[in-house]
Order: sequence, then structure tokens, then C-alpha cells
Amino acid sequence: MNESICVLPCNGLDKCAGDLSRRVALELTQSEEVELICPVLLNQNKTRYEKALAAGDLTVIDGCNTRCASKLAGDLDLAIKEKVNVSDVAKALDIKLGVEIRDDQDTQAVVREVLEKINSSAAEQTESEFIEPDSIEYNTFSHGKFIFKVPQSNYFFNENDCWVTISGNMARVGVSDYVQQNLSDILYVDPPEIGDKFEQFDDLGSIESSKAVFEIISPVSGTVVAVNVSLNDAPEQVNESPYEKGWLVEVHLSDFEEDQDLLHDCPAYFEFLQRKVAEIDV
Amino acid sequence: MSESTFMGVERDRIDWSPRIDFTKCNDCMDCVEFCPHQVFEVDENAKPKLKVKNPNNCVVFCRACSKTCGPDAITFPDKPETTKMIKAIRKAEKEAATDE
Repeated sequence: MNESICVLPCNGLDKCAGDLSRRVALELTQSEEVELICPVLLNQNKTRYEKALAAGDLTVIDGCNTRCASKLAGDLDLAIKEKVNVSDVAKALDIKLGVEIRDDQDTQAVVREVLEKINSSAAEQTESEFIEPDSIEYNTFSHGKFIFKVPQSNYFFNENDCWVTISGNMARVGVSDYVQQNLSDILYVDPPEIGDKFEQFDDLGSIESSKAVFEIISPVSGTVVAVNVSLNDAPEQVNESPYEKGWLVEVHLSDFEEDQDLLHDCPAYFEFLQRKVAEIDV
Repeated sequence: MSESTFMGVERDRIDWSPRIDFTKCNDCMDCVEFCPHQVFEVDENAKPKLKVKNPNNCVVFCRACSKTCGPDAITFPDKPETTKMIKAIRKAEKEAATDE
């Protein structure tokens, strides 16, 4: 783990959320270990920041969902270590930011919350209780130059291409080989919070490539007990091993029997996926 | 046909598609560019320009376009309600099939 961090904020000139990203970034740079990266200069001259980026982990602060800062990092192939979206934080606090730039109690509260989010390290997670199988056998089919893999058994899928595999009342959730090939190089995994309770088909965080953001649509209902922290440093594991090393979230199941009604087993998903890729351009 | 059903339920029986708040929409068309399923249509001569042309092309439970929306103008129906409805339709169809 690097000791220093580089902060790449939204440019923050025209809207309230952007202005708050700028304020958070300026607060952070009060610390000596933090280097501020100007998005405009970075875009113009990447080499200017090469040294700082090599020495420190990159934290990106997006103002809104346009995600200019994230997209810039993605376009320049910069690995993002941590990321926060000011508008999401404001929404969670039930604060409406609007367009106009202002400095009042509400905006100060958002700045504080964003800073706290960046400064607090990930919640402690307990030792994994999930028992991994020794080996997994796959079926494959090809479509054009693509080859798609689906496990032969013990995985269940929703039609949103997310999988779940079960061990007792614990389960792991991830995305299918189809998703990772569609997104190509995964640059960032945004995990849910430990302890979050969720229903079947709720979002369980997202994964992001330079092409797109993919919402993890949970195949089951339950509680988040762990996230795959090895993806912080190596999100490419989702590409290399989508069904095993690239698992995303470990959950405590609440009612798998009920959830199973809206899931495919491996052979059914294999057929579903074959139909799907035949119908749309991959 | 996987595109016209979701878990065996005909797609047009499931109410799942983006709703646009035109008081917030700024015509940036990021959603149109993002969605690979031709859910949206742009008519330069109309007002508003953006239209949800093919709601049934929208992937059930996907809300990804709303995450690309800077002004946060896109919302979707309630997920648990939608899940309940899909399960109810499946159950009714199963029962109808066993009655025959």
C-alpha cells in the first residue's frame, strides 16, 4: 500500500456538485502526503504527473454522474484506487445540491461527509466463511471471435448476467464471462458496504471499464458480509477469472429458495446466453 | 426469444423502462449514447428532443442509463414491486398450465 495519494477531482467550475469536489480536494491537499492533480493539465500533459502517480494511489472525486474525472482517468489508463461521487453522497444525506454554487450548512455537511468517506479505511471484514470448491468445470461456446465460458454446475444466474454460487447459507456473487468480455478491461470495482441488506435484483455496487459502468444486479437477497478486497489492486481479475478469483461480494443469504424462482441454473443460462449473443452484436 | 421475455414472462407485460424528468434533462443525450438497446430516440425537431421510443427494449432491472445522467433526470419503477409482479405472473401462468 502506498503512503501518498493523488487526488483527481472534477474540474468544479460550473455547478454546485463540482464546486464541492474542488473544495474536498483542496481540504485533502492540506496534508503533505496528498498531491492534487489538475484535470485540465492532466488531460493536456500526462507526463507532468507521471512521478506522482507512480508513487501514490489515485483517488478520484466526481461531482456528478457525468463522471468527467473518472472518464479522464479511464481514458489515460490510470488505475483508480478509490472513488467518490459528491452527488451520490449528497443524495444519501438527502441534500439537494442544485446548480448554483453556494457555501452553506448543507454544502459544508456534504464536504465533511465526502472527506470522512475518503479518510475512513474500508470496514473491517471478518474471515471468509465461504468454502471454495476445488475445481470448476466449464462449458464453452463461440460466437465470431469470442469464446464464452459458463460453469457446468453449482452456479445460478439472473437474466442480468450476474451469478451466485452457494456454500451453506453463504454465497458469492459476481458477473458472467459475457459481462467482462463486453466491458473489456475492468478499471474499477465499486463494492457495496459491509452490513448492507439488499433484496433480489437490488444493486450490489458496480464495475467499471473505460467503455461503461455495469451495475451488479443481485441474483439473491441477503446481507453483505465481505467484498473481494484483492480487486482493489487487481480489478483485472474480473476479466481473467470472472467466476472464481473475480468474485465481487460475499453475502449471507436470506431466502434462497424464494430467490431461485427467478434464477437459471447453469445449463439454462448456457442456453439463454447462446440465444442472447446470437441476437445481439457482441 | 430471450429479448422478448424476462424469466419466461412476456416483456410487454413487465412495466420497466426509464422515466425522464424534463424539468431536469439538459439534452446532453449521454443516455442515448450509452444505451445499446435503442430504448431512446432523438428527434431534433421535437420538443423535448428525447423520447423513450422502445420501452420494452429496456433490460428489466437495468438502471445503468440513470447512472450516466449528470442532472439526475432519469428514474425507474420500484424494483421490489416489479419483482413481486413478475413472480405473480409466473405463478398464475404455472397454475393455468396445470389446470389445462
